[in-house]
Amino acid sequence: MDYQALLALRIGLVVVLYLAVLQVVFVARRELRHEVRAVAQGQTRVREVVGHLIVIDPGSAPLQNGAIYDIEPITTLGRAPTNSIPIDSGFVSADHARIIYRDGSLWVEDTQSRNGAFVDGHKVTTPVAVSPGSTLQIGDSRFKFTT
Amino acid sequence: MTYAGQPQQGHTGKASAAPAAKPWVGSGGAARNYRWRELWLLLFPALFMLLGLIMLLLVNGQHIDLTAKKLPLLDAFTPVIGLLLALLGAHVALIFVAPDADETLLPIAGLLSSIGVLMALRLGPDLNQNTLGSKQLVFVIAGLALCVLTVWATRDLRWIRDYPYTWAIIGALLVAVTLAHAGSFNPSAPSRDVLSLGNGGLSFQPSEVFKICLVIFFAGYLSQNLTILSNGGYRLGPLTLPPVKNLAPLLVVLGMALLIVVFGRELGLAVLILGVFLAMLYAASGRLSYIVMLGGIFAVGAVVVFNIFSYARDRVSLITQAFDIHVYQGAPPLSSYQIVQGLVAFGSGGVFGQGLGLGHPTFVPASTTDYVAASFAEEFGFAGLLALIAIFMLLLYRGMRIAARSRDPFNQLLALGLTAVFGLQTVVILAGNLKLMPLTGVPLPFVAYGGSSLLANYIIIGLLLRLSREKA
Repeated sequence: MDYQALLALRIGLVVVLYLAVLQVVFVARRELRHEVRAVAQGQTRVREVVGHLIVIDPGSAPLQNGAIYDIEPITTLGRAPTNSIPIDSGFVSADHARIIYRDGSLWVEDTQSRNGAFVDGHKVTTPVAVSPGSTLQIGDSRFKFTT
Repeated sequence: MTYAGQPQQGHTGKASAAPAAKPWVGSGGAARNYRWRELWLLLFPALFMLLGLIMLLLVNGQHIDLTAKKLPLLDAFTPVIGLLLALLGAHVALIFVAPDADETLLPIAGLLSSIGVLMALRLGPDLNQNTLGSKQLVFVIAGLALCVLTVWATRDLRWIRDYPYTWAIIGALLVAVTLAHAGSFNPSAPSRDVLSLGNGGLSFQPSEVFKICLVIFFAGYLSQNLTILSNGGYRLGPLTLPPVKNLAPLLVVLGMALLIVVFGRELGLAVLILGVFLAMLYAASGRLSYIVMLGGIFAVGAVVVFNIFSYARDRVSLITQAFDIHVYQGAPPLSSYQIVQGLVAFGSGGVFGQGLGLGHPTFVPASTTDYVAASFAEEFGFAGLLALIAIFMLLLYRGMRIAARSRDPFNQLLALGLTAVFGLQTVVILAGNLKLMPLTGVPLPFVAYGGSSLLANYIIIGLLLRLSREKA
């Protein structure tokens, strides 16, 4: 009796370990499938577009004149490639400015950039609300807000 | 925690105005996630522990009639009840603190801990340390509490992210205090004992916390200098040299860490720190050339260390001449007795193992700490060892996934570095046990007996759980 119980337990212990591994793999597989389905349906992330930014003067940055960028609830601008809108120019700080959607309007905030951000020609010191048609200057590149 | 339901905070690092103080359209009102998958997966550590305890009772000659009249004593099952309650407690706490965190990390850590507690329970009596298992269980419970506390304390990561040098200094102080405390080195002491504070029952190994501090420093510094590291650098014909000016603070800290560690005779820790640094630098810069160049410099350093320090030479000669009878019978620090006994333990396990409590793992010195993998393999066999390695691979997979899905460079690098700590530790100690590389005193995460390492590993799990909350 004891011998059989020991044999069963010996096998059972190793089996439990493998079952645990399998269960974690199943959970991971289900997650991956879910993601693959989401990608197939074009829902990689719930992207909320609250406006657009049109390049009206690329300046020294390699931007296309007339290119249109989406504005999300938080959009960052700067020289670092990790920004939502990267502007690769020597006049632009790595983290230069950001655009925030709050209380139904868009706000431009300078994130301690060296050369400043300008909305309609005025330097941004505290967050400034912008409306469609406003211009934004970062370094020597200029943009225009549209809906 | 209001942080959970809110949209992501800005990831530019400048906190001049908190943009997300009020939730806007489409957020809030989401149903609470009760982490059912985690609850289901937590069944397995408890089941494994329960079966293991029944087996130990049977092996120790206690006759168990599994009938309603003669159920085994409740106190024999205290460990499994304690572990289950601790895991459930952590689960419930996470529902409130971090409902959207990864649901597999806690069960994986719990399963590895249950293996550790079971091995300590089984080996303790054979080593005349009857309290070994309950001590390990207490450390696991404390570790789980610390894990939840870490998730809670880091809901705003800025205090970790924004002060990399502070973390480097904290790490350096920890190790410096230990070295001063240790005074002159005892050349015959096993390497693991040098970097530890206190003596007797409760000792603390700052090197475990040191690792975490260094990873935080690397992640903080690298993420602040990401652009320069990936785009900058001097061009020398076809070669791109690393931007030395921007790498200098990093290399100074790394060099100091390595010096301390090498003088403290913790070669395993040195390999670990180097490996983690190279992994993080490669992830941050994406330049294989940096890794090749720094790897070359480190190879030269390794040769120098090998020639200057006799203990490094001894470690290597122990594995190349392990089966020489004179080496085998040598005096403890210069004897391959442990290595050979460990190999015999691995071998005598066979495919399905001797069965828990039926082998003789205590023939290997340090069977609960450095050689816990050999003890496990002897009693659970090759099949069990493969399962153990698979569990570690799952842990690494989850960590890498968290790194890949993070949106902030600091979060990505931190998750990657912490995962690399687990991975390298596992590889270094398993390869050491199997005589594939020189044996060094690195604990097998969660399984090896030892409070400091267990607590540090649970802090890492807590940080990974926190990092898994911000998805791309």
